[in-house]
Amino acid sequence: MPFMKGRAPIRRTLNYLNAGKLVFKDKIKIFSVAYNIIGQNNTGAKEFVFWYLPQIQYKNPNVQVATLKNLTPTPFIKCYFEDGRQILVDIDNKSKEDILDHLLNTVGKSKEVLEAESIAAEKKDNPANFGVGCERPCICEVYGQVPCPGVIPLPKVMRGKYKNPAN
Amino acid sequence: MSRHLADAAKKFLLLGQCVPTVKQNATKIRVKRLELDENLLMYFRKDDFYYCHDPEKKCNTGDIVLIQALPRKLTKLITHEVKEVVYPFGDITDPVTGKKVAKERYREDIDREAEIYGKLKSGFDYNKAPPRGWQDGKKDFTSKPTYTKFHVFDENDPYAV
Repeated sequence: MPFMKGRAPIRRTLNYLNAGKLVFKDKIKIFSVAYNIIGQNNTGAKEFVFWYLPQIQYKNPNVQVATLKNLTPTPFIKCYFEDGRQILVDIDNKSKEDILDHLLNTVGKSKEVLEAESIAAEKKDNPANFGVGCERPCICEVYGQVPCPGVIPLPKVMRGKYKNPAN
Repeated sequence: MSRHLADAAKKFLLLGQCVPTVKQNATKIRVKRLELDENLLMYFRKDDFYYCHDPEKKCNTGDIVLIQALPRKLTKLITHEVKEVVYPFGDITDPVTGKKVAKERYREDIDREAEIYGKLKSGFDYNKAPPRGWQDGKKDFTSKPTYTKFHVFDENDPYAV
């Protein structure tokens, strides 16, 4: 059985897709890249589309990612917001890493926001969790568990003031 | 359930290209989206066609436009409206520099080259050209979809190839 077919099939692995760094802010709806097929100044843009576009679309399934070819001499990126604003990024003669860094700084969610979101997602994911953001605030409201000490006082065995005599 | 919500969220603002249509009141817009194939984990192009409300007829065939979902559907088919024409067909301004372009060369570069080689009077001049659509119906039959003629009828339909 041969290895995965095609040019750079690593782009088609779950590991690679999940490793995408660019997650757009919530207001962005359309992300369009315009570049040429030929020309030295478009190589960065072409490589950006080849390597990073699947990651971007995987991490932002609700954003329309559009590529426009052979429109203008210089390549550019245009992001369209919900309220009608547009952001224009000039990517003429830039490498794919430069383009990605610039986009991360301007239109991408920062690392702290992403970490907070992943923690919040984990909390909601597991129905066994209880606490601040979950369905049950405290374990005392589940049948079979120790009832809330605010409603019914705990037996003396469990209370600290009876277990440890204060001499 | 979540896919319906995702679809509704996706339809809010879209970028598409105008395609020929027979309908008189609406413009047909093709929106190219990428859909993930689960087994190959590869994105393939998927076309969605939307009929859009365009009362001022600012959209011609081939233009790239921004569409917005209407709060309430106008008819059973017309669900979106044309918000603005981003790149008109054949008359694109480079957003980075602001100059007019012709596919991959600036128009002023083309003019300069023509002057050096010797400008012909029969050459195309962008400033003096009439606006787009002046031959529509007489010699330009691209605004309506064409079809192959397999039989010659009495009435000659110019939109048939």
